[in-house]
Amino acid sequence: MENSVFTISNLNLHYGTFQALNNINIDIEKNKVTALIGPSGCGKSTFLRCLNRMNDLIDKCKISGNVLYHSEDVYQKNYDVISLRTKVGMVFQKPNPFPMTIFDNVAYGPRCQGLKNKNQLYKIVESSLKKAALWEEVKDRLKESAMGLSGGQQQRLCIARAIAMEPEVILMDEPTSALDPIATLKIEELINDLKKNYAIVIVTHSMQQAARISDNTAFFLSGELIEYNQTDVVFTAPKESKTEDYITGRFG
Amino acid sequence: MTNRTQFDYELEELKLSLIKMGDLVIKNIHLSLKSFIEMNSDLANKIIKDDKIVNQFEYDIEKDCMRIILKEQPVARDLRLITSVLKMITDLERIGDHAADISKLTVFMEKNNKPYLVPQVNKMVDESEKMIKMALESFVNQDQNIALKVIDNDDIVDDYFTEIQHLVAEAIRQDNIDADYAIYLMMAAKYLERIGDHAVNIAEWVIFSIVGHHRN
Repeated sequence: MENSVFTISNLNLHYGTFQALNNINIDIEKNKVTALIGPSGCGKSTFLRCLNRMNDLIDKCKISGNVLYHSEDVYQKNYDVISLRTKVGMVFQKPNPFPMTIFDNVAYGPRCQGLKNKNQLYKIVESSLKKAALWEEVKDRLKESAMGLSGGQQQRLCIARAIAMEPEVILMDEPTSALDPIATLKIEELINDLKKNYAIVIVTHSMQQAARISDNTAFFLSGELIEYNQTDVVFTAPKESKTEDYITGRFG
Repeated sequence: MTNRTQFDYELEELKLSLIKMGDLVIKNIHLSLKSFIEMNSDLANKIIKDDKIVNQFEYDIEKDCMRIILKEQPVARDLRLITSVLKMITDLERIGDHAADISKLTVFMEKNNKPYLVPQVNKMVDESEKMIKMALESFVNQDQNIALKVIDNDDIVDDYFTEIQHLVAEAIRQDNIDADYAIYLMMAAKYLERIGDHAVNIAEWVIFSIVGHHRN
């Protein structure tokens, strides 16, 4: 597909003898929010982690097939994984700020890449926090510990930390499941805003969240991609009865 | 298998309310034409009064739909079903209005108007009632084929209307029909023709609720 950032074909993943992903074929489009839905253990988070090779560290994890990021297979030998992870950032279910100041959290990535110029770092921190819709709330306490922020603020800080690396894709694994409705709303608004510049792939257990914020929805079941379509089609007239059964709550 | 017992129960109750509303509307059409043919203004007045019950059905079902949407946040076929119910009650309510309209014609007619009976009017009302019944049946059973038959049957109602038009025109030419009665008869026939159209709308919403897109 012309607007794809990721093209995944015939992707299989085994944890030892257990096959967690079975022949997945999917394109991830730029400037779109792609939601991954499905019951626990269906492979959606496993799939998400394939996109920036987060499964590499898992013992006995075997992958076959192609995960093409801009037509280049990220699983090919000698592929620069560090560079991949700067371009494909990740936000997790539980906010995981580093035990350091708000400023240092956001500046962490650029510093790791060797940026030392204070002015430049400040600019990156400011712009990332602004893009993550957190700047107004923290601009007067950048030198305070990030651990003092609320859960919702911490999650937006993690998004700012990912943005600071100027990624192209942001992966989110249930980013609002630990947040209250107001913080959730802020993150959802932010996602809607961020898609102007990034491709976003989000794993969510909330059907309503997927329906609200995503453009495309992929339904996974038992390691298989059952249906992938525009979100409004999936939630109003899904093509597959398995999708229908799951999203309407008559499942099993 | 996960069940949504309460939700399924509420959807069944919603269908039941729709059927009750449909039954009342069918009864009102039937009686409205009877009042027209028999020039029974007492019966006509009763139907005009009963139209309020039809309207109340519409409000109540609308409220039920909103409550279910709020509580259950339906998607896919559930969402389509509730959306279709919301649209169908509007058509049923309009059919009820037309039954009241026909009854009002009865009230307007003077007792000394000489009736000019055209059997096609009875056939038209029978066909319209059948169409509504079938449309509701297709909804309850989620049967697309019955809904498609309803759409086809609209031609029968339209043909009866054209026949009545010709018969009335001929009766006017032959001076066999009272002028006022001719006008009222044509208006009643037009209301019945519109009722057929509303039955088609209902059938189209049934098809939407089943297949997820509108019929071209």
